[in-house]
Amino acid sequence: MSAAERPAILVHDLHKVYPLGNRAAAGSIRDLINDSLARGLGRADPPAKGPVHALSGVSFEVARGEVVGLIGPNGAGKTTLVKILSRITPPSSGYAELGGRVGSILDIGLGFHNDLTGRENIWLGAAMLGLSLEETRRQFDAIVAFSGIERSLDSPLKALSTGMTLRLAFAVACHLERDILLVDEVLGVGDAGFQERCRERIRHLAAEGRTVLLISHDLGTIGQLCPRALRLDRGRLVAEGPARSVIDAYLVEAGQGEPAPTPAAGASGADLGPHAAPSIAGEPV
Amino acid sequence: MTGQTPYTATLRIEPSREPWRLDLPEIWRYRHLALLLTWRDLRIRYKQTLLGAAWAILQPLSTMLFFGLFFGRLARLPSDGLPYPIFYYSALLPWLYVSHVVANGTNVLHEHARIIGRVYFPRIVLPVASVLGGLVDLGIAFIVLILMMFWYGLIPSMWLPAVVFFLVLAVLTATALSLWLSALNSRFRDVKYGLTFALQLWMFASPVVYPMTIVPEAWRPLYALNPMAVVIQGFRWALTGQGFPGATPIAVSTVCVIALLAGGLVFFRRTEAVMADLL
Repeated sequence: MSAAERPAILVHDLHKVYPLGNRAAAGSIRDLINDSLARGLGRADPPAKGPVHALSGVSFEVARGEVVGLIGPNGAGKTTLVKILSRITPPSSGYAELGGRVGSILDIGLGFHNDLTGRENIWLGAAMLGLSLEETRRQFDAIVAFSGIERSLDSPLKALSTGMTLRLAFAVACHLERDILLVDEVLGVGDAGFQERCRERIRHLAAEGRTVLLISHDLGTIGQLCPRALRLDRGRLVAEGPARSVIDAYLVEAGQGEPAPTPAAGASGADLGPHAAPSIAGEPV
Repeated sequence: MTGQTPYTATLRIEPSREPWRLDLPEIWRYRHLALLLTWRDLRIRYKQTLLGAAWAILQPLSTMLFFGLFFGRLARLPSDGLPYPIFYYSALLPWLYVSHVVANGTNVLHEHARIIGRVYFPRIVLPVASVLGGLVDLGIAFIVLILMMFWYGLIPSMWLPAVVFFLVLAVLTATALSLWLSALNSRFRDVKYGLTFALQLWMFASPVVYPMTIVPEAWRPLYALNPMAVVIQGFRWALTGQGFPGATPIAVSTVCVIALLAGGLVFFRRTEAVMADLL
């Protein structure tokens, strides 16, 4: 990584404002008429909630090939940030630049349908994540092998256990090969063994030189996988640096008082049960 | 990576992209998603229903029987000299296609709200998939129409190739309205509730149960502001040679559809940016 190289992700003074809380989101024509009437007559009630600043001036860079963790409490703006970078929602101001093909995994099993077979769902789920037909064809066997459901491949999804469906969904997501990967909170699913395979997959992607921005409530996972971490709080970037120190400072502030386990202690995925993360972060999932 | 050109250029994410600019190469890149969604909808329908593809025929056939009995035999509405079954069935094909697609298309964004909030793709593939899916039913029903024409000894008119033109007009009408209504429906749920009612009125404003020829000639260009007037009458005329809709009405409807489609594309694109926040 030369210093002159352009970063893989560049975020500059990004803002996201949701007008009037959720009020302005979905409504009916009646709401619209009532609102405009009230405004016209100068009798508008002050909105119950003011505009929500989900992000207020976030700037950072991620170098090519870097694996960066994004942490912070619920409502800090982590998901909003990743949704903007994924082109799901536009920023209100500021800009971001992504140098390379981008893939986002904000959820798994998107596009899956219970009445369709595992095989059919692989094609649909892969297309939803942005894989071309050619990419899916090339990865198909690897996806099936990763999911471990070879024998149920032609049964409808509803005949499979939740665990199997989850593994299939994850297998599809894990085979999204992109220069830049944005991953939100999906590593927390499945049992400990499966989680470890997912972490292994991220390490593998990182070893291939891909850039990864990873959101997780599981600070142990972030500590293991990400050399560097960013911390958001109420829409602002409040800390940035080596993951260990960012996490430790976060835990101290969150009132835990104790630093996180050392990377060596946390290295075996089984040590961190699937429910360890939310309790560390001190908030519900 | 194979299959697609690698994204070497920097992707810039900014507040507003030009809403009038249609990113056609981007939509084209996602064509396989539109086709897969079309295939999914058909597959699910055929798996979930006992009659599967037979529905594509049963609906126009049963409607034809009722229309033939009440509007034909009892009310004795004119039929441009055609046997009632052919007269109604040939109108029901484009009508049921467009009305089904519009009804589906209006809800298609809501049905995919979770996906829209969690993954990027040009949202237009959703209404497009609904437009394509309807074509399969239309194709199946069309085969029955050909058989019926043989049965009645009707020889297709020399204008038969014009069927393609009127079908394209039907597809574009369905697309345009799906774009408008799905985008509107993501802002105002009222659209969904008004839709059934509006479709009913729209059918009577179109020459489904009566021929366009009962509309006074001077009024026909105005009548053709409803593109379905020309789609239905034109489709019937191209097949049977009876009841030419007239050159001016055809021109009026065509211009109308193009304007509706252009507006729909811009409106959909403008809504697309905020769709994830609205749904």
